[in-house]
Amino acid sequence: MISPIAWLKERIPVDGDQLAELSNEPVPNHLKRWWFALGGTPAYLFVVQIVTGILLAFYYEPSPRTAYGSVQYITDTAAYGWYFRSVHKWGATLMIAAVILHQMRVFFTGAYRKPREINWMIGMCLLVCTLMAGFTGYSLVYEQLSYWGTTVGANISGSVPVVGPFMRDMMLGGEAYNERTLSRLFIVHAAILPALMVGLIVVHIALIRLQGVTEFQFKDEPADKPKHFPFFPDHLYTELSIGLVLMIVLSALATILPATLGPRADPLSTPEVIKPEWFFYVTFRWLKLFSGTFAILSSGFIAFTMFIWPFIDGWIRRKSKFQEASVAIGILAVLAIIGLTVWEAAVAH
Amino acid sequence: MSEETPQEDGQPTPPPSSPAGEPAPDNWLVGDSAPPAEIPAPAPANQADPEPAPAWNAPEPVAEAEPPALPEAIDRRSFLSRASSIAMGAGLVGSYGVFAAMAGRFLYPAHPPLKGWLFVIEVAAMKPGASLTYTAPDGATIAVARQGLTGQVGDFIALSSTCPHLGCKVHWEGQNQRFFCPCHNGAFDPSGKATAGPPKEAGQSLGRYPLRIDGGLLYIEVPLEGLPGPEEA
Repeated sequence: MISPIAWLKERIPVDGDQLAELSNEPVPNHLKRWWFALGGTPAYLFVVQIVTGILLAFYYEPSPRTAYGSVQYITDTAAYGWYFRSVHKWGATLMIAAVILHQMRVFFTGAYRKPREINWMIGMCLLVCTLMAGFTGYSLVYEQLSYWGTTVGANISGSVPVVGPFMRDMMLGGEAYNERTLSRLFIVHAAILPALMVGLIVVHIALIRLQGVTEFQFKDEPADKPKHFPFFPDHLYTELSIGLVLMIVLSALATILPATLGPRADPLSTPEVIKPEWFFYVTFRWLKLFSGTFAILSSGFIAFTMFIWPFIDGWIRRKSKFQEASVAIGILAVLAIIGLTVWEAAVAH
Repeated sequence: MSEETPQEDGQPTPPPSSPAGEPAPDNWLVGDSAPPAEIPAPAPANQADPEPAPAWNAPEPVAEAEPPALPEAIDRRSFLSRASSIAMGAGLVGSYGVFAAMAGRFLYPAHPPLKGWLFVIEVAAMKPGASLTYTAPDGATIAVARQGLTGQVGDFIALSSTCPHLGCKVHWEGQNQRFFCPCHNGAFDPSGKATAGPPKEAGQSLGRYPLRIDGGLLYIEVPLEGLPGPEEA
């Protein structure tokens, strides 16, 4: 009588030691500091979003006639529907915050520099995908704010010179919000963006494994101390602990501040105060400050500059004596982002 | 000799046995190390010597003896490591287990289909022997027939038009006085009892809907939710 484990090993000839060896890359000591775990945090939250998103998709019906009612059903009738919807909403908020903080950490520690420029750009793509997922997800509720937010967002895209109208039509499935818009946004939110993000995350992690994590030496670390620790189980335990803490935080937020449902979308009446989600406050305020075309072109220019920043930074370091100019520029950018966000949050219009 | 002197292997030196040769008490060791399994036997008392040699000083061939077999010491660090691993495992299983249970409950239908009493026809408007087809909100077609003269609810019958065999729609064949299912030639008499085909073999009858009369009006209890028919869509 062959044991079930032996039977399985005969058919799947991979043992635990081999798997452990595969994952047991030495991890630099600085990863024991919590702010260096900000890369794993959005990855974990991404999994939470996938799981809760699949659950919500069982009941969500993406059409203008049924969307609002199905969200209402999830929130009020389905067992624990309010919890899963709230975890999904807060998971998105925390994920965007974690991606931004991770990017800031990478920026200010110069971890994007040669030979990691491509991984920075992949990270930028992941940031854009995360923001797009936030935008499309917000649109699916089909309440007043989400409907008008989508309309405004689509029209902003439409005012981009040359390609704008094409982008708007692709987003809405027509020149304006119509019967087919929600199903389009739903597919982008629930299929295309997640698939794209899975691919980008795989390449992102593969490049980290190939190039290794950027090494940092802190002044308070003794020189004779080992500079690395094993991934398995030490770092895995750290990540699992972070996962548990995040789950507790998400559950607490979902319970204390559950996702609400505003009035149903009314295409004939725009609300007095219209705001996007908090992560678009910067863009929204920027668009209010400057004329349409300039605001849009300058936003695109800033995003493109961020995308190719490793090369700009390399050029600055080669051509000038300001080796850490990126830190000063980064501080100014962060202050501008915080300032515009707070400004937009503080005023009605 | 009252002070413990660490041995080379880090184990403290065992204290002496009593002069009478009694072994030392079991709890002689303080700390994390376990006591030796075997304490050397005391040397035989020399009659000429009034002071017998203490056991630890006996001329035993200690060097040749096997070191005492120590049970595995419970190290504080490994204990804490194991305890924290178990706590983490329990936390993971507990939290994600609860999450999975909630997900299962979320996916299971929230409640049985809502039912309600809906108006069908005035009792006086339906003569004995007459029948009509009633369409419920969920799209189910129901054959309602009057089979008695008393004017009580027992005169009426409401039968589902869904064959209990595999869910096809049955239709009334007036010439044969039966409901017929075209999928597998199932047949039912006017009371809904199977008379031929797979339903008869399985002893399945057409489903019946509750009816009631209130103020001369006939009501039927039907599911209120359901898929719209082609004309409603």
